[in-house]
Amino acid sequence: MVGFALFAAGGNAQTAGQNAVDAAQVERVKDAVIKELRESGAIDRAVDAGVGRFVERQRAAAAQNEERDAQARTAKLRPVSKVHDHIRGDPAAPATLVEYSDFECPFCKRFHPTAKRLVDESNGQLKWVYRHFPLDELHSKARKEAVASECAAEIGGNGAFWKFADRFYELTPSNDRTDLGTVLPQIAGEIGLDKARFAECLSSGKYDRRIAEDIENATATGGRGTPWSIIVTKSGKTYPLSGAQPYAAVKHLVDLARQEK
Amino acid sequence: MKHQLTNLRVALRQVFAHSSYIALAGVLALVVFLLAVWLPNFGLIAQVFRDSNVPLAVALGIALSLLGGIDTNFSLLSAGYTIAIAVLFGFTVAMIVYLLKRRRVTAAGNSIAIGSGAMVSGVVGIGCAACGSLILGVILPSLGAAGALAALPLNGEEFGILSVALLFVSLLLTSKSVVGSVACPAIAIGNVRQS
Repeated sequence: MVGFALFAAGGNAQTAGQNAVDAAQVERVKDAVIKELRESGAIDRAVDAGVGRFVERQRAAAAQNEERDAQARTAKLRPVSKVHDHIRGDPAAPATLVEYSDFECPFCKRFHPTAKRLVDESNGQLKWVYRHFPLDELHSKARKEAVASECAAEIGGNGAFWKFADRFYELTPSNDRTDLGTVLPQIAGEIGLDKARFAECLSSGKYDRRIAEDIENATATGGRGTPWSIIVTKSGKTYPLSGAQPYAAVKHLVDLARQEK
Repeated sequence: MKHQLTNLRVALRQVFAHSSYIALAGVLALVVFLLAVWLPNFGLIAQVFRDSNVPLAVALGIALSLLGGIDTNFSLLSAGYTIAIAVLFGFTVAMIVYLLKRRRVTAAGNSIAIGSGAMVSGVVGIGCAACGSLILGVILPSLGAAGALAALPLNGEEFGILSVALLFVSLLLTSKSVVGSVACPAIAIGNVRQS
């Protein structure tokens, strides 16, 4: 029994000693390998490659997100309708500028002549679609003005809508400072609308739903402020544009949209 | 105030005697300015640069022409404070780096704290406040408090003005710390004389 115990103890001691030697050897080999990897630059290359792969994955994910957003925007953009929408320019034009606008926004007032100039200079290659996006929290009068523009369209047709919009943006001081009681009848008279019908239409509430639909579509497509525009190519690809951007920037995008096959 | 402005003048001369700090301040001011003007259209810029069908020259043309938005998409006030924020940010960070390089971390800490607050305020305030296309205009509706923006007399542009004020305070504090290394011995002598 004692002999067995001594044998076992001796065996354990021998195993422990062997393990210590193995561990030391493993450590030495490990250090040598690490030193070799470090000196040869292999670790640096592996780290660089790892970082590179990470950056590439991030880029790919961002590109995918962007693509997904663009597809979602295109899907949510209400198709342009000759019956439902107000179109300036040739309805068959290959490029489309869909603008969501607020009649009391000073930047929409600034953007209006830019869009008009682009359509005028496009030789039938660009059409401009005007949709309503009154920001009620900031401009309490804008929704009523949107209704007025719809009433102008109802009484005088698409041409009257654009005459109303052009003249309104000329007259309004923006930021809810428009005197509605004076300006709306004045424009109605200037563009030859029946004032009684115009007044009746204004108070009827019949365009409330249509304006709500436009607002809903503006926010669904990503609009967070005004003017919010989407430039659409013939194939349906979209370029979102936020704010009253300069003529040169919008022209670049319109040219891009026109040239796309 | 006169004393603080003198500090500012001395500190600016001291820090910007080195061309590397002029470059740092310039680059930072430019970056902040570009970010502010491109902010509403980051998505578009990313889209045209990633799209292989859009030639690089056209993508660059779009990005550069969008810079004209400082004139068309900003009010005079917001354009003014956006430029002021960019310049003050460049100056402040360059001076903080100057302090940190001289291991005056505690002195730099105060300026960093105020400067960070100023930048947060500036980012919130930047944009087309009147039309809600600024960050606040995005955040507030999701919080169900869009009316709060309209309740402000300048529709949110207050944040930009606050930011300029905070950055200026931060710059004054940093200047005091920069000049401090020269002023301390004189104060010590004055104290000794007084006692």
